[in-house]
Amino acid sequence: MQFEIIAKCHTTRARVSRMKLAHGVTMLPTFMPVATQAAIKGLTPQQVEALGITLILNNTYHLNLRPGINVLDQAGGAHQFQGWRRNLLTDSGGFQLVSLSKFTTITEEGALFQSPFTGEPTMLTPEESISIQHSIGADIIMQLDDVVSSLTIGPRVAEAMERSVRWLDRCIAHHEKSGKKSTQNLFAIVQGGLDPTLRDQCLDAMIQRQDGVAGYAIGGLSGGEEKDIFWRVIKQCADKLPEERPRYSMGIGFAEDLLVCVALGVDMADCVFPTRTARFGVALTHTGPINLKLSKYGNDMNPIDSSCPCPTCTDGTSRAFLHHIVTHETAAAHAVTLHNLVFQAQVMGRARDAIVAGTFPDYLRSFFASYFGEAGYPEWCVNALRSVGVDLLEGTSNVKLIPGSGAKWEYATS
Amino acid sequence: MSASIPPASRSFSFNLSSVYSRFSPRVGEVTLSRSEDSKIAIPTPGLLVSTSRGVVPHLSRDHNRKAQPIRWVHVPFETFLEHKPPVPTLQGGEHPLHRFLGYSPEKQVISSSLRDPYDGREVPPNGNNFLSANCVRGVHKVTPDEWRSYTLLCKPDIVMALTDIPFTPPPYSQKRITKSIERSCAWLVNLLRPIDGHHPLNVFVQMAGGTVIPARKAFADTLMEPLYAKDAEMVKPLPRLDEGIAGYAFDLVPLSLSLPVPSPEEVIALFQTSLSPLSIDKPRLVNSVSSPHEILALIRDVGIDLFDAHWVQRAADVGVALDFTFPAVSKDETRSEKLRLGHNLYDHVYADDFSLLDNSPFDGERVCPCMSCSPSSPDTLILHSSVDEPLQGNQTSSPLPGFTNAYLHHLLHTHEMSAHTLLVMHNLTVLDMFFEGVRKTIASDELDFNAEVDRFMEVYDGTLGVLDDARIMWTEVEMARGKGRLAREKVKQSETSSLEITVSA
Repeated sequence: MQFEIIAKCHTTRARVSRMKLAHGVTMLPTFMPVATQAAIKGLTPQQVEALGITLILNNTYHLNLRPGINVLDQAGGAHQFQGWRRNLLTDSGGFQLVSLSKFTTITEEGALFQSPFTGEPTMLTPEESISIQHSIGADIIMQLDDVVSSLTIGPRVAEAMERSVRWLDRCIAHHEKSGKKSTQNLFAIVQGGLDPTLRDQCLDAMIQRQDGVAGYAIGGLSGGEEKDIFWRVIKQCADKLPEERPRYSMGIGFAEDLLVCVALGVDMADCVFPTRTARFGVALTHTGPINLKLSKYGNDMNPIDSSCPCPTCTDGTSRAFLHHIVTHETAAAHAVTLHNLVFQAQVMGRARDAIVAGTFPDYLRSFFASYFGEAGYPEWCVNALRSVGVDLLEGTSNVKLIPGSGAKWEYATS
Repeated sequence: MSASIPPASRSFSFNLSSVYSRFSPRVGEVTLSRSEDSKIAIPTPGLLVSTSRGVVPHLSRDHNRKAQPIRWVHVPFETFLEHKPPVPTLQGGEHPLHRFLGYSPEKQVISSSLRDPYDGREVPPNGNNFLSANCVRGVHKVTPDEWRSYTLLCKPDIVMALTDIPFTPPPYSQKRITKSIERSCAWLVNLLRPIDGHHPLNVFVQMAGGTVIPARKAFADTLMEPLYAKDAEMVKPLPRLDEGIAGYAFDLVPLSLSLPVPSPEEVIALFQTSLSPLSIDKPRLVNSVSSPHEILALIRDVGIDLFDAHWVQRAADVGVALDFTFPAVSKDETRSEKLRLGHNLYDHVYADDFSLLDNSPFDGERVCPCMSCSPSSPDTLILHSSVDEPLQGNQTSSPLPGFTNAYLHHLLHTHEMSAHTLLVMHNLTVLDMFFEGVRKTIASDELDFNAEVDRFMEVYDGTLGVLDDARIMWTEVEMARGKGRLAREKVKQSETSSLEITVSA
């Protein structure tokens, strides 16, 4: 990996960098769409590439089950298998073990889980996870971490964090032995739950190992914790992690979350949200999400966003047309997915431009004003951005502050 | 004769290029001219693509524009009846239906009928002044005036006149059939009323008469009879209804629902009866064919020019990649069974099969040009910031490897939608290439079309057993997950009236 910071925000901790991997360049900060089972749902890889996306995520847990390592090896890796010629990131499979498997036991050796198809118990060790990711052939691979829910309290959190460090060592060793270090880049995952002390210990330990890793993910979040705590953990980690390593916040997809993370010093994030919500009929726009299933769109002949460069909007696809087919035809899922992916890319692209131009705080203010407007700003965003020197409320009057997540949604009555 | 037809309707023309008799196979070309420079040519025999709710299922707009086989799409209008007024009527502009649905006026022809020709579900009986149509909200009555007004507002290139085909349980009395003929003619007259003295609509008529030979003859005769008095006044200056008709359509679904179900030979006789009095050089279209065997028999015995691609699209829905050519591949004498028309990619033999969907190269060497077998690089990328890098030169020009059977197999079992996108494109291309082969054979001096038809039927299995197998495995995957989709697919499956008819030799 070649990683080069090309611009820094003079106010916040945001930075623009250029990351060169075996399958090309990805400009950061960026959002990574999730191609869980070797496909962005409904789209061909050529369609995804045409949207200007250079880095997507594949899911190790799913690919290991189907099509399986044998098929992937014969295909020559996941890039060849799915026809994606740009950069690929795989997670370790750790999260799915916990979220998807009915029966998982974590031991020092690894995670013992039950296959959802055969019911057989299978052991996933750190070494095995790295081997599977070697077969998949992703440009960025993740350590196997001992994942606990962000809502877990008690000694389990510390145990998981400490084990994650030991498993990192095993992942590093296995990766270095493999000879794949020059083409595949291993990231560590910082754990420690919501406890600043544990996070700090984990950070210290993992930073000591920075020569063995190409980047750092901030894991163990997006599990339903309070947003006001979430940003503090991100900030703590981003403040301490080495500047010259990319930082990846896992499971972040809402636009406001992405921009706050960028301001705090994060470079990459992934989430199923934009693609999933597209399939359910919700299009994301700079003035908030629009729920195309609502009858008010039944005869709205405007496109989702007339200034959006996505294929759906540049073709003038009307909201009325999408309303007619949404949830009935897969073509609706494709059309809105294309749009939402471009929306995410635009949010991050404009951030890059603003950071380079030195106008990132202005961009933050104008984004929030446009996206939330009178609905009110999430209070946690105001707090988080204030911590890096940006007053979101500057230049506004009478903006409501919404406690909790404050996420904007569209209902029939709104 | 042609001088009396106003110039506006010359936007549609059909020209036959081979030697032909009334029911012989013939090669031709449908041309739709939008202006001096803008013409769309559709060679015949050829295909038209079916749509659902106005879209080609599984394809995004960029796909359906780039796809070679998608030159003519058929849009059943009844889906838009959910909304009053129907939303496409609000679009406005030069090509409202194209624009609303995302088809290219430069490259694509849209035909529209009120009802979906493939939908054989029971609906309440039609009346003298209305037709019962189906939409997601239930049955709506549509009058001939309304149909005319929707057509004029939405401007499809070709419109099917309303025909009174009963979708109530058979058998139908003579009275009912007579009514059907009278109503269909009356509704056609209504559609053919001139606009400022012109007849700008390109009208196709679905042949009425059901399974009753005299009724078929009566309907066709009525189209050819000179018009008098009130009827003549209504459609002037057309001397007879046939002058205002651009083509003839035949629907297989109502025949398959009749009692008794006509045999393949009887179906041919019915179509020939309808065509006997009619103009020999107008295009003939058949809806709801279910196999290439049926297509070939209809070309050979009736001289049909256009066929819907519904069955190949539905094959894509259940994971079948079609694989047949015309002329047929050489028969493998070591095998006694006939070749299947396609591959059920759910089958586990494909799990590690890294060959392309296309197993029978066309013309010997050429790889299937579809988007699955021959994907193409994007021409440009959307750049989201000034530091984003555009496509490098070598990334645009290099050809991309095609998608493998193994990948499609994986997508099908993991319930991924992109499987169907790729399969639809492939299947439409296979069918398109099939018709290209048919046209070449008919036109050729060296090849004997009838002999090649016989050989095709010898080589390939016309019972489409591969679809049955695929459907079973598709259902298993659906049961495993995909609750929402299962309900929608159930509706689709219920529209599949038992098409027992296969018109084969």
